[in-house]
Amino acid sequence: MNFANNSGLLAALLLFASTAILAQNTPPAIGAATAAESSMAALIESGSRDTFRALDADVQTLKKEVLDLNRDLFLLEEELLFPANSQVAFFVSMDVGEYFKLDSVSLTIDGKEVANYLYTDREVDALLRGGVHRVHMANLKTGEHELIAVFTGQGPHARDYRRGATVKIDKGIGAKYLELEINDRVSKQQPEFEIREWE
Amino acid sequence: MQVRRILILLALAVHAVGVASVSGLSGQPAPDFALKSASGENLRLSEYRGDVVMINFWATWCGPCRQEMPLLDELYSRYKRVGFNLLGVNIDDDPNKAISMISELGVTFPVLFDSSKEVSKLYDVNAMPVTVLIDREGQVRFVHYGYKSGYEQKYLDQVRSLLRE
Repeated sequence: MNFANNSGLLAALLLFASTAILAQNTPPAIGAATAAESSMAALIESGSRDTFRALDADVQTLKKEVLDLNRDLFLLEEELLFPANSQVAFFVSMDVGEYFKLDSVSLTIDGKEVANYLYTDREVDALLRGGVHRVHMANLKTGEHELIAVFTGQGPHARDYRRGATVKIDKGIGAKYLELEINDRVSKQQPEFEIREWE
Repeated sequence: MQVRRILILLALAVHAVGVASVSGLSGQPAPDFALKSASGENLRLSEYRGDVVMINFWATWCGPCRQEMPLLDELYSRYKRVGFNLLGVNIDDDPNKAISMISELGVTFPVLFDSSKEVSKLYDVNAMPVTVLIDREGQVRFVHYGYKSGYEQKYLDQVRSLLRE
């Protein structure tokens, strides 16, 4: 019984002492935790700031990529979805025709024959009266292309005549119109073949 | 029930006959072309719009063509004044053979040279001769494959009916 009383007293003393110790130790412990927390917070903050910066950079890069993609798509749309823009039309016209009676026109684009048109007397007559004949329409990619136009017919003194003209076509965005013009060169008494672009 | 089945079969048969008669080029716009003729000028089919046109595809190695051509020439001489035109399209590789044959036969209708066979392909020429009749509107109305004696009467009837339209 006596021991029980003593042990109770001891427990009470211990409890008191521990409370006192705790009471003494608590303030410095809280201060340390706050510092650690703040340093941690600073670390987290700087880390998150870095992360935010990286994310921001990523977003900016993404935005730029989206803009680039959008631009590319727009250009592609223009180049591919609107074939009218890729069209190239070739017209034949004649002036006077004293030194040349047109028989046929053959067009070769990038090594491939795309048109070979035979002109009847009526059609030649229409050309001589100022008519312009659309001999071919093509869809060409943007870039440089080679056009070879071969004219056959009868030259001066009713001789068979065959003449070729080559031109480099620089195809950009938008329709292009090329005129294959047959003129008389009075000084040489010969026909002259010219390929010119309509503005 | 039996009667109904017979009617359905009849309807199908009539439909099949109808399809066969309009198969191929018949009823379609005649594909346009331009070819060099024996006289040296270029001739274009579309310039004959408003006339009845017969196109006769032939070759020098084709016996029935040789038989048929003088008869076609008679038809041409008789009806050319009233809006009938005949274009003989030769498919030989060498046009000189055709020139000698037409002078031998004394053919007067225009003969064109399709050495590259492009026009023959357009008209699906898979027999020799092939005779195509085109109305004033430029529609293919009759196509005859090959030639047998008596075909000229058919041509005559068809040309006359097309001229009357």
